[in-house]
Amino acid sequence: MSIDLPSQQPGRRAFLASLVGSFPGLALTDLLAQDSAIGVLHRPAKAKRVVQLFMAGAASHVDTFDYKPSLEKYHGKAWDPGEGIELFQSTPGHTLKSPWQFRQHGHCGKHLSEVVAPLGKVVDDIAFVHNIVGKTAVHSQGTLLQTTGFTTPGYPSAGSWISYGLGSMNDNLPTLVVLPDHRGLASNGTKNWSSMFLPAQHQGTVIQPGANPPIADLFPPRNSSFITKKSDQAGLAVLKKLNSQYAAQRPGDSRLTARIRSYELAARMQLSATEAMDVSKEPGYIKDLYGLAAEGPAVNDNKINEKAESEFFGRKCLIARRLLERGVRFIQIWSGNDNGHPRRNWDSHENIERDHGPLALGMSRGAAGLIQDLKQRGMLDDTLILWTTEFGRMPCAQRGVGRDHNPFVFTNWLCGGGIKGGVTAGQSDEWGYKPLDRSHPTEVYDIHATMLHLLGIDHEQLTVRHNSIDRRLTNVFGKVIKDIVA
Amino acid sequence: MKSATLIFKNQSPRFLLTFLASLSAFSPSQAKDAVPPTFAAVQTILEKNCISCHNYGEKKGDLVLDRGPIKLDDPNELIKLVSGSDPEMPKKGNHLKTAQITILKKWIDAGAPFPEGLVLNDSHAADLDWWSLRPLQKSPLARIAAEDEAWCRNDIDRFIIAKLHEKNLSPSPQADARTLARRLYYDLTGLPPTPAQMQQFLQASATDLDQAFENLVDKLLNSQRYGEHWARHWLDVVRYGDTHGYDKDKLRLNAWPYRDYVIRSFNDDKPYSRFVEEQIAGDVLWPGTPDGVIATGFIAAGPWDYIAHVEVGEGKVDGRVAKNMDRDDMVTATFNTFMSITIQCARCHDHKFDPVSMEDYYRTQAVFAAVDRANRVYDLDPAVQKQQQSLSAKLSSLKSSQSDLQKKISQLKLAHPNLKKIEVRLKELKAIGQDTVKAPEYGFHSHIAKSPRTEKWVQLDLGAPSSLKSIELIGCHDDYADIGPGFGFPKRFRIEVSNDATFKTGTRSITDKSQADYPFPGVLPQVFDIDYKKKLRFIRITATHLAERKNDYIFALAELRVLDHSGKNLALEKTVSSLDSIQAAPRWRKSNLVDDKFPHPQNETAMKELSKLESKRSQILKTVISNKIQQQQAALGEAIKTTEKQLSSLPKGKLVYAAAASFKTQGQFKATTGTPRPIYFLTRGDIRSVGPEMSPGVPPLWDHSPAEFKLANNHTEGDRRATLARYLTDKKNPLTWRSIVNRIWLYHFGRGIVDSPGDFGRMGAPPSHLELLDWLAVDFRDQPSLKALHRKIVTSSTWRQSSANDPRKSSIDSDNQFYWRAQRHKLTAEEMRDSALTASGLMNLKMGGPGFQDFVLEKNQHSPHYEYQKYDPQNPASHRRSIYRFIVRSRTQPFLTTLDCADPSQSVAKRDETTTALQALTLLNNPFMETMAKHFAHRIENQKDPLAAAFQLALNRTPNADERSSLQKYAAHYGWANTCRLILNLNEFTYVD
Repeated sequence: MSIDLPSQQPGRRAFLASLVGSFPGLALTDLLAQDSAIGVLHRPAKAKRVVQLFMAGAASHVDTFDYKPSLEKYHGKAWDPGEGIELFQSTPGHTLKSPWQFRQHGHCGKHLSEVVAPLGKVVDDIAFVHNIVGKTAVHSQGTLLQTTGFTTPGYPSAGSWISYGLGSMNDNLPTLVVLPDHRGLASNGTKNWSSMFLPAQHQGTVIQPGANPPIADLFPPRNSSFITKKSDQAGLAVLKKLNSQYAAQRPGDSRLTARIRSYELAARMQLSATEAMDVSKEPGYIKDLYGLAAEGPAVNDNKINEKAESEFFGRKCLIARRLLERGVRFIQIWSGNDNGHPRRNWDSHENIERDHGPLALGMSRGAAGLIQDLKQRGMLDDTLILWTTEFGRMPCAQRGVGRDHNPFVFTNWLCGGGIKGGVTAGQSDEWGYKPLDRSHPTEVYDIHATMLHLLGIDHEQLTVRHNSIDRRLTNVFGKVIKDIVA
Repeated sequence: MKSATLIFKNQSPRFLLTFLASLSAFSPSQAKDAVPPTFAAVQTILEKNCISCHNYGEKKGDLVLDRGPIKLDDPNELIKLVSGSDPEMPKKGNHLKTAQITILKKWIDAGAPFPEGLVLNDSHAADLDWWSLRPLQKSPLARIAAEDEAWCRNDIDRFIIAKLHEKNLSPSPQADARTLARRLYYDLTGLPPTPAQMQQFLQASATDLDQAFENLVDKLLNSQRYGEHWARHWLDVVRYGDTHGYDKDKLRLNAWPYRDYVIRSFNDDKPYSRFVEEQIAGDVLWPGTPDGVIATGFIAAGPWDYIAHVEVGEGKVDGRVAKNMDRDDMVTATFNTFMSITIQCARCHDHKFDPVSMEDYYRTQAVFAAVDRANRVYDLDPAVQKQQQSLSAKLSSLKSSQSDLQKKISQLKLAHPNLKKIEVRLKELKAIGQDTVKAPEYGFHSHIAKSPRTEKWVQLDLGAPSSLKSIELIGCHDDYADIGPGFGFPKRFRIEVSNDATFKTGTRSITDKSQADYPFPGVLPQVFDIDYKKKLRFIRITATHLAERKNDYIFALAELRVLDHSGKNLALEKTVSSLDSIQAAPRWRKSNLVDDKFPHPQNETAMKELSKLESKRSQILKTVISNKIQQQQAALGEAIKTTEKQLSSLPKGKLVYAAAASFKTQGQFKATTGTPRPIYFLTRGDIRSVGPEMSPGVPPLWDHSPAEFKLANNHTEGDRRATLARYLTDKKNPLTWRSIVNRIWLYHFGRGIVDSPGDFGRMGAPPSHLELLDWLAVDFRDQPSLKALHRKIVTSSTWRQSSANDPRKSSIDSDNQFYWRAQRHKLTAEEMRDSALTASGLMNLKMGGPGFQDFVLEKNQHSPHYEYQKYDPQNPASHRRSIYRFIVRSRTQPFLTTLDCADPSQSVAKRDETTTALQALTLLNNPFMETMAKHFAHRIENQKDPLAAAFQLALNRTPNADERSSLQKYAAHYGWANTCRLILNLNEFTYVD
């Protein structure tokens, strides 16, 4: 599956793609299939689709999924892990227990904090990895590491790699869709779903549920003084005629016919995207399953609260399901925005309870709804869900009730798509400070390798040559985490 | 010496140097003993099979074989690993032959002796025998058949046609005059000709096409539009942007002078060698010239992690990693841009394919060891600059005296028996005070003063004279500078009341605490009773000795409460005025003083103790620090103040964001002031695996090019960059000249002679016409004029061919890599935008200056949001050429991004070209395009023949009968705006033949 593709010169595949118009899908799978880079799996795939849930700002593992009785035992006492500690912002405060109770859930008996208890219903489908280590305590770099596998900008996102490797499963919607927090983009903005040196059609398309239009430029400006539905339709017919004449006078340049086709696809996308965004016909019990609010996206968010967070995250999860049903390959859902004021992300330096409470409840309701809904539709088997964040948070206090960054250990969890449920692979130490077994941590490369493995791709073989290096998502690292693969 | 001869033949000059050096380090007798006769054979085996992983930089499996002394835990292990039918090593490539294993075994049995000082190189990568590294020589002109002479206009054509015939191909006929003109306008200026310009050219070409064409070439090369268009190509390569990127993605408001510099340089046809040298070390090589400073904007053009540099800093590992990656970006940009060599591969291991070692890489990092990316003045007159320097020097000496005095004071304090204990206890109490509950609205905050003895007042208007019982002042709580409770509470103050808002008449004193220091109150309410019966309206608190913050002084209060006899707070939400105030909502604003929001300590006893102890501490300090010292302190403070004032009264000069060794400290982001940071060899590129310190140097890529710079011991940081600059433009440099000529060729033909323009290494693409490339490169090196190169290219017959297809030729060379026709050009994102602006008649050709922002900027204080969808495309501020756009990294401009615009966070040597449904949607529906269609229509609808006018403006031709019938009918139904929208969406508007 490895191919020669210097970024400066799109290789044969990109060339073919540009010939036929490279919008993913395009019903041109046949043409592209001639190229070995596409549609050729290294092994039978268990998963076909991926949903990446990203908690921007760094979600605390010790307040959600990684239960640490020691924090309760030593709460308020000086925290001393027995080695020098360098924190991002502060000096270590006292040992800080979670403001929430942990209880066991499911057959597996996994301890979950109250604020993620909604996931208790599906905990037997989830595999937890508690010994993820990062490379940095800086948000931007940590976020890039999780989304692209590198700490500096310039590398394609995981979703772009998968779009590149597997192509599209539909004709009318993008392959890689991003549902950002409507209050703002996380660190690095669009770099988290850029295709960078992969062909541009593998970049993420942003969909903003509730915005009009949900995809930029899907329709003419609403306030247009001259474009009407009729002028638009009649215009497309004239355009097709004139563009076809132009192409006919210039035989042998298939870009010209591809461009004609791209206008037809655009019209089809207007219909299918609108239909996919429309949740009005979803029954009430489904909306409840995802935790949607009666007020809809207009729910009051003046002060951070769980109702609003549930609505925001739940709606994105519901739309994600509709997009998955319609053949979207990779969906990134964001919880939390940039580091603005007032805080609407997981970067709880000041107060874990105030921000993590509503965010975690909203996230876990939406995620649990998505998992249950996919399961009842028979789609969980081939849809992989990955929950991640840029790093974790410290077991000690920052200014009494907050927590500073912890890149030394944090949690990811995966579900569906060939994942073994109800298991925990990799532990953190008694504090949740570093991995229990420091010589065998899990890294983002292993998560990405496992993800690609489940999609039928050998992570060492999906490469593209860029500036002298055969680049891959997992850099020169990565091993499949066997313990969580069913 | 037989073995040595063998080595000479196969090894790089650099290797030779090291090897000779190692030999010369031995006495002859030593050499005989220390180097067994078989070492050359051992060396060959190691270099061919082992060194690429088991080198000092990578230490795979903790085994180092590229230098002595060799450390083997188990000597037999190594032999075992390479022996047998399926040996574990080497991982890649062929198994070792029995004879080779025998040699290794003998060597290991002898104790694995290794010549001291010798470093082996991966023999795959180390040699210079590669097309792009061979010395640049003028190729002989291609020999061609007599009948081809007629086709050849210049020497380019000779190389091209020779190769075409070799491939059983032949050139296409020349394109027609209209096509040539339209192509040339776009190629050289990025804009279409106006109808009048086209008409003028067609008239001239009717008599003599060749002459008319050459005149047009000259005219366009002299047009200012040329520099604007070609600067865009350059900015793609140098990753130019107007924000920092990463977290927060703050605005970089002074990047644009570099962009203008590039435009200016192209328009002035600045010799390329100088253009290169200026961008690396213009400030050193041409001191006193604005361009010399501005050009180093190149070094600073890439993304920069604000948080890691300003908030984290070099004191922490993350900050050091960021610094390392920051230099990596500078090194990478320099070598990728100017030499098309991927030096960055050698950060973690020796380059696997090209002759760049890790040592080379870290030496190059050392060149940039003293510079950061920061704002820098570029246009000051030398006298002012001198004055500025001398004042800055005076200021820093005063500050160092101040810090010496501070140290002395600290020592005196330390000598006191109780003071330390008190301070420890104070710290504890402050920590307890951390749980003080406070609202986001902190209080009132005056401007910052340099001296404590600056009077500042804040006053309250009760709205009407009222009878008053008491006044309460409550201090702020702010962790800034670890102060916490009592933040900003004045040391001395007085409270007065009056019925005159100006306090000029009828002023009565409530309390006067201006004669002695007031006991430190923390956040405990301070109550002052009022004995006057008279009703009063205004209350004023005047701070006469401000509170210290961090080498500066302020006056802040959380709350002012004014109680009447019933205990009601009359001050609540009344009007507050002050001499000055910082308005930074929600924390600081005047109204916070009377909002009933103030810190509530959880542990009042502790706070009382805190307040008492603070006062005690002040008392002790007075005894410990003599009057003389206090006077010294005050005098220094005054002198600093004066000097700062003098400095600030000097002309400021204009700023450019560039490479800087001196700049104002911002948080943890501190300038080196010219002293290079030590640069260490980092094993596997890991900041924690520090090796030897590296001196500045470069990869030695040609004969007699030394790896280490020969610089005097007292050399400046600028000398390092200047040496690098001269290395780049050395006539012997095999890459620089080939690289630029290929880039220019690529932009003219849509494809480079080398199709990996940023990588001329072994992993890059081979040249399709090496002789032509070298011929152009030598010419250009000897006369580094870009305009001459453009002229040579566009006046060739090769460039003038038609773009029409030919099925037979296409079956031989479908990619047109041998240039048997012209490549139909798809407009780039910027060309599309500029063309739409031109057609609509809105284009404003104003040059230079700060970029236009085609977004609405929100939340700029903290994490800027760039809201493109909220921008009104009617706004004439943005009706300028796209080169002048303010380029945001975290949120790339959506319209242009969809149209394959270059991403500003990576070097883009060649744009992607895709055709997608999203492009169709954006060209049809984006508000910018809708606006352009509307204005395009206004421009033509009142003309005699609107359709013909529209076609001339958009396509430089008249419509044919078919087009006329379709579009006239459509216009009759839906109007001209809709019709213009269609024209902007025509294939012909997007493609240039």
